[in-house]
Amino acid sequence: MMSDAPDILALVSDAFGGRGGIAQYNRDLLGALADARPNGTKVQSITVLPRHAPDQAIPPAGIQQLPPHPGRLAYALMALAVALSRRADLIFCGHLHMAPLAALIARLKGADLVIQTHGIEAWPPPPRLQRMALEAADLVLCVSRFTRARVLDWAAIAPERVLVLPNTVAEAFTPGGAASLRAQLGLEGKHVLLTVGRMDSRERYKGQDRVIAALPRLVAKGYDVVYVVAGDGDDVDRLQRLAADTGVAERVRFIGPIAPERLVEFYRLADLFVMPSTEEGFGIAFLEAMASGVPALGLNVAGARDALADSELGIAVAEPDFAAALSQALEKPKPAGHALATAVRARFGREHFALGAERALHRLLANVA
Amino acid sequence: MCGVNGIFAYHSASGPPSEVELIATRDAMRARGPDGAGGWWSGDRRCGLGHRRLSILDLSDRASQPMISDDGRLVVVFNGEIYNYPALRRELEAGGVRFRTTSDTEVLLHLYACHGAEMVHRLRGMFAFAIWEETRRGLFLARDPYGIKPLYTANDGWTFRFASQVKALLAGGAVSRDPEPAGVVGFHLFGSVPEPFTLYREIRSLPAGHTQWVDAAGPREPKPFANLAGILAAGARNPAPASELNMRVRTAVLDSVGAHLLADVEVGAFLSAGMDSGALLGLMRDAGQREIRAITLAFDEFDGTDEDEAPLAARIAERYGAQHIVRRVSEGEFRDDLPAILEAMDQPSIDGVNTWFTAKAAKEAGLKVAISGLGGDELLAGYPSFVDVPRWYRHFGPLALVPGLGRLTRSLIEAIAPAQARARPKMLGLLEYAGTWPGAYLLRRGLFLPHELDQIMDPDLAREGLRRLKPLRRLATSIAPDPGSDTGRVCALESAHYLRNQLLRDADWAGMAHSIEIRAPLVDITLLRSLAPVIGGLVAGTGKAALANAPTVPLPAEIMSRAKTGFGVPTAAWMNAIAGAAGLTVGNLPETKGLASRQWSRVAFAGRPIEPRELRAA
Repeated sequence: MMSDAPDILALVSDAFGGRGGIAQYNRDLLGALADARPNGTKVQSITVLPRHAPDQAIPPAGIQQLPPHPGRLAYALMALAVALSRRADLIFCGHLHMAPLAALIARLKGADLVIQTHGIEAWPPPPRLQRMALEAADLVLCVSRFTRARVLDWAAIAPERVLVLPNTVAEAFTPGGAASLRAQLGLEGKHVLLTVGRMDSRERYKGQDRVIAALPRLVAKGYDVVYVVAGDGDDVDRLQRLAADTGVAERVRFIGPIAPERLVEFYRLADLFVMPSTEEGFGIAFLEAMASGVPALGLNVAGARDALADSELGIAVAEPDFAAALSQALEKPKPAGHALATAVRARFGREHFALGAERALHRLLANVA
Repeated sequence: MCGVNGIFAYHSASGPPSEVELIATRDAMRARGPDGAGGWWSGDRRCGLGHRRLSILDLSDRASQPMISDDGRLVVVFNGEIYNYPALRRELEAGGVRFRTTSDTEVLLHLYACHGAEMVHRLRGMFAFAIWEETRRGLFLARDPYGIKPLYTANDGWTFRFASQVKALLAGGAVSRDPEPAGVVGFHLFGSVPEPFTLYREIRSLPAGHTQWVDAAGPREPKPFANLAGILAAGARNPAPASELNMRVRTAVLDSVGAHLLADVEVGAFLSAGMDSGALLGLMRDAGQREIRAITLAFDEFDGTDEDEAPLAARIAERYGAQHIVRRVSEGEFRDDLPAILEAMDQPSIDGVNTWFTAKAAKEAGLKVAISGLGGDELLAGYPSFVDVPRWYRHFGPLALVPGLGRLTRSLIEAIAPAQARARPKMLGLLEYAGTWPGAYLLRRGLFLPHELDQIMDPDLAREGLRRLKPLRRLATSIAPDPGSDTGRVCALESAHYLRNQLLRDADWAGMAHSIEIRAPLVDITLLRSLAPVIGGLVAGTGKAALANAPTVPLPAEIMSRAKTGFGVPTAAWMNAIAGAAGLTVGNLPETKGLASRQWSRVAFAGRPIEPRELRAA
């Protein structure tokens, strides 16, 4: 039975001091829950148990993060020990892989269970225990409509319990000038395309190779185009060879990973953010680019449809139409960045994210009443 | 009968809904409401409502929908009839409410303003409606306790949509067509798609007797407000003596018939030679209707034989002074209409063809509303299932509880006598399913049994569908709380499954296709409450006899004796012929009709006549 001011135990892969999109989402969500006033009263406590926390970080007020336990068994034992030693009305499970453990703890504590799903981990039917754990959840949060649809494909759970709480975009991403960085990189007067994303040889879904393959056509049309590829990973060599084989090696710049605080400058640098990815759970980079005032182009596949808002914010096209859409996008003058940024925040701004988290919490509280 | 629909972009990430989609969904339901169409958008255009109207109460334009409350805070779209509308109106007016129309739609607005969601407990009738509440920025949906009126919803995580028909939601173009294995399996188990499932994962039926609230936090789980088993259980706790049966049936059914005559247009009747429709015709007279047109179907095949219902129906019509319209239907007409029938079928069904032609005849006669005897067999223990299900449960139940015995026996018979096994597939299931009430009922009503599904569909789809559908658990919930008697249990099972998912859906799509509102006085929650204390005491035939004797002038005695053996309906044979023409033949065994239904189910599922090789491939 959940009290009006619940105590929350969050089992997560990583949150504060973690790297990557899932850690960011967990920080956003836990922060929003700490600030939430679903019934006019505040959440009593939030205890976070991460498996990883490579960086030093101090959680905001109201959130206590315990030391990480990377080993699976050690983590499970620690989670049980923590759960049994304190009040917990709500178990938040940050990853489907941890759902069986979270479901067990929720059962032992008589607590509500909320499971977060992101992307590819939740698309194919999971092992039986994970499926059963998810089917026992009081709420399931999905980052996109696509992930929600896939979850409902394999889970026998009331569809009303499965909500979309999309990624939000950090305040740091705003429109602005990029003249000095352009000059520094020698990009003045060029049409700059940008992709930000990992290049992992096992995944290969971000679609940098699709962009490289489309470059000769743009050059032939007379565009003085440069493709800036940000990020690292073990697939960079292959992409470099591809650029060379395609005859556009001098037009593709692999600039490596970018520190998070410098990302906004690189987004602003671009004329078009382009990521013809096929397996985005959501595609936060689209939001970051558009919040930085840069138009975005992707495929109308999986979660990218959501980040591009069915082509109402960005451009989402079918895969066969990608090259043509890229060419068309360059023909158009770059739109007013501030209008785009405002439109992005009207749908995915932090206040909407916070409201979404608060409403989800309120639904659980209302079930008790 | 009308068609309702709406789109609500409840999530901040969602863009405003499109007018084109709202209209495409609405106008896919043109046949439901040929008399007018309306649309409404909230000030911020986040919610749009659509309505197609079949005018029956208050034919003026002021009663058109969507209807907005005087203060602009509430907007309603409504499909159905509120039969206690005059009483509700008087009560509201006594409390100072002022009405501007004489339609039952307006009463919904005022009732909701006074009582909020609790208003559904006050309604007698068939209804599916949605009310937009401006102050709370949310949608309230409700569907009647029996599920007479349909209401389908779709939620993609950003946007909520609803409509009176599955096909209308699809016509809007924004709803996923990903399949729902539970709907596919459910159709093959029962011959109709069991709610809340449809053939599509994203589209659900709002369950009968439930409400639902949708706001910025998303659609909430549907909440029950009425439960047939609960009403029967309450009746069983306060049983009435058998001596009261006739009096109670007469009083309560007459009251229901009177209520169902509320209309500003002529109310006709569907008349067979059975007891239910005949008794209702007599009670229509008792309720004060002088001019009645009654429609009977007749088939060339049975002309001049004692299978022909028309002569006996004529006797009934004559006795009650009704104008009798006999509509002849031939196999040729059936074949001509088949594509339109399959098109009108909102979800696949193995039945409904008779209703199609009756409604067609009513339309030809210029009627908009007709009284039907639907539901009499469920309410008054008219089906063989009222005998079979309890008997199987008692005879075979103890054996069925022996683990593994049922499967073993089935495997043995399949090995030793494969021809018998094929001809009587359900007999094989007795020792597997008869151990529980839901199992015994599934055995009685099932088109295919769970173990047969692998033969007609992909085994993975069958397994996943059964896992999601949980057919036995679903059946079990319809007899909780326990209705307290064998008759009560079967009544609850038949009403919550066969009646709700098959007969009422068929009456809806087949009637709707001809813009005919079918009213069923025997499917009425007030009537069920009145009769619940006597339902437990019904024995074979007593319920139907009480109904036959309910009119002041009882049904002719020959109707009562003849009706017991039933009449032939050639539509099953026609369906069989369609499947037979597709290269299959059906033997002359007693279960021929069941087997024909199985083949027809393939046609209905495909939504078109199918080729011989497609059937053989399965």
